[in-house]
Amino acid sequence: MHVPDGIVPAWVAITGYAAAGGTTWFSLDRIKRKYENPREMIPTASLLTAVFFVASLIHIPMPPTSVHLVLSGLMGVVLGWYAFPAILIGLFFQAVMFQHGGLTTLGLNACIMGLPALLAFGIFRLRYLRGGDKPGPSMIFGFLAGFSGLVLGALMSSLILILTIPANLDVSVERAAILSLLVAHIPLALLEGVFTALVVLFMLRVKPGLLEAELK
Amino acid sequence: MTYILMAEGLSFGYSGQPNVLEDINIQITETEKVGVIGPNGAGKTTLFLLICGVLKPGVGTLEAFGDRVRHGVFQPETGMVFQHTDDQLICSSVREDISFGLQNMGLDDREINNRVTEVSGITGIKDLLDRPPHYLSSGEQRLVAISGILAMKPRLLILDEPTSDLDIRYRRRMIQLIEGMKEQTLLIASHDLEFIIETCDRVLLLDDGGIQADGEVVETMSDRNLMEGHGLEVPHSLTSTYHRHRGA
Amino acid sequence: MIIEDIASVPAGNPLYRWEPRTKLIGIMCLAFAFAAVRDLRLLPVMLALSLFLFVLSSLPFSYLLGRMRIPGIFLLAMAVVLPFFSGNTVLVQLGPVSLKQEGCVSLLLIAVKFLCIVTIAVVLFASTPLTRMLGSMRSLGLPPLLGDMMLFTYRYIFQLAADFHRASTAACLRGARMRSLKSLKTTAYIVGSLMVRSHERAERVFHAMTLRGYGRQDMDFYKAKIRPPDVIAGSACVLAAAGFVLFQLLMP
Repeated sequence: MHVPDGIVPAWVAITGYAAAGGTTWFSLDRIKRKYENPREMIPTASLLTAVFFVASLIHIPMPPTSVHLVLSGLMGVVLGWYAFPAILIGLFFQAVMFQHGGLTTLGLNACIMGLPALLAFGIFRLRYLRGGDKPGPSMIFGFLAGFSGLVLGALMSSLILILTIPANLDVSVERAAILSLLVAHIPLALLEGVFTALVVLFMLRVKPGLLEAELK
Repeated sequence: MTYILMAEGLSFGYSGQPNVLEDINIQITETEKVGVIGPNGAGKTTLFLLICGVLKPGVGTLEAFGDRVRHGVFQPETGMVFQHTDDQLICSSVREDISFGLQNMGLDDREINNRVTEVSGITGIKDLLDRPPHYLSSGEQRLVAISGILAMKPRLLILDEPTSDLDIRYRRRMIQLIEGMKEQTLLIASHDLEFIIETCDRVLLLDDGGIQADGEVVETMSDRNLMEGHGLEVPHSLTSTYHRHRGA
Repeated sequence: MIIEDIASVPAGNPLYRWEPRTKLIGIMCLAFAFAAVRDLRLLPVMLALSLFLFVLSSLPFSYLLGRMRIPGIFLLAMAVVLPFFSGNTVLVQLGPVSLKQEGCVSLLLIAVKFLCIVTIAVVLFASTPLTRMLGSMRSLGLPPLLGDMMLFTYRYIFQLAADFHRASTAACLRGARMRSLKSLKTTAYIVGSLMVRSHERAERVFHAMTLRGYGRQDMDFYKAKIRPPDVIAGSACVLAAAGFVLFQLLMP
């Protein structure tokens, strides 16, 4: 799902940075409004960011290949408004340490992962309309958050790649390519959904506070 | 005679680094209680991870229960309780955590339930079964971690620093618990030398990657030159005995 | 995956001594200028510039190669697709598949751009210890909240990676097969446990920090003096970047 350097035109990369900057600003603004002392939550948000960073390195075999968890959805569920800055930071470290992602495409990749995280955050909040913190609805909405987080991310990255690659592909080929990329991501989305639901269930039993309002 | 654990010329080093363990020879028979002492970084945990098959020995043979220890293969006969309970307690309730290994062994639900009841009776944590392990006191967490391993009925039980986070009361409970383990073979690493004196009948001194001493507990640990030569001290209870004897 | 807060480039190296703020601005401008390249004539210049920076850094070639491995997979996928599906001008017909000129050109463009940007990014990050990098980003206007989060995250990444590793080892010893789909629940539990414990730990960390005065002032960050050579190097990069853009605007 990460767009590497050199593939998309410069204007797309710059737009990505602008969009990521705007979303970060908006998130930070939300955080500042919520807390009298926004710094209070920094250690929590940072440690959780580090957990996500580590978790995203886990490889899970899915024949014929192995995949790593993206966790946008789960980040939205747990981190709320901190999710976008957290993703930006995580991607920065990935680019620095493993050259995973890219330098010029950092903003773009942050949007590809971060906007779905915010969507997942919203979806997970919907559980309050359906029974709130009971295990059933929490798991269902957790699944939906993880699932749709990945699908939206895959959709965004496929669109960006196919539409901006300097290739004279015709429209039908493009459409087919995007569709097949999306379909290829469905098993991954199911995996993310199940994983998110499992973590949500765990949290609900062990520390329900982390799913509620603490970071949101 | 088959040994529960047998190492011959065992060496190990993490890749690209000098050997942590060099030419280790150990023979341990059934139901022996063996303490492993040595300064920080002597290789105690590394030795344990080798015995459990987590790490692969560089040179030498390592056999448990008469068979070569296979790398990366689940062997419920060898159980290890980690130094930090945080590493081990991952499930959302104590009951689930104790069942974790049992489920992986493929036991049926009734057997799992029986074992959980049995082991939580032995360790005295019956009233904690439905609580998340994350919020227990460190003494309670230690007992839960041991229960999770004991339930798998290991023949060889390895305890890595079992008293490092215990108060006097839980430390005493730990000693009593170990005294009750008549059938298991035990390997206990600890800096709490008094604890080793109370629970073990044999001690290995590990330092500089090798076994520097292997013998009866009181005899070995009373050797001031040996102990101080490896960054340890003669346990107080042994020195006072020593002084009394000299005075008499 | 343990990486310490030291640069891989030796401390005496000119790139290491280059002040981080001017270095960051200079290299970022270059990277974007590289990304904007559409003219094939610029490729040799780009390669030469990247090679110059790389040689100057005195990094071993194997280091760069190691860093290329992960993103390289993506490039490989492109190499399989682009030459055959993109464009109309057929170069070679190989049975049912045809090699197309436009596809080959775009692949060449993408590959060289990728190679050059990754190289200068590697040079940038390998010659700047991360805490200095974060400090300089802050003095360039990174919001303090983000800066603090970055420092903290970095501080705990390695510890948490080790925690995760030990927890999965412990789970394996109790029979979990961490490398199978069945382990998803175990992985979820370990991740959940890490989160719960991190949360508690963060509360303690915060208390310990406030006791030492955190929040009263901006955290101390690295401030190096900008000297004339730093400005020259930075401006040279910016000028080169501008040159790339102007060349493509002015030359047909």
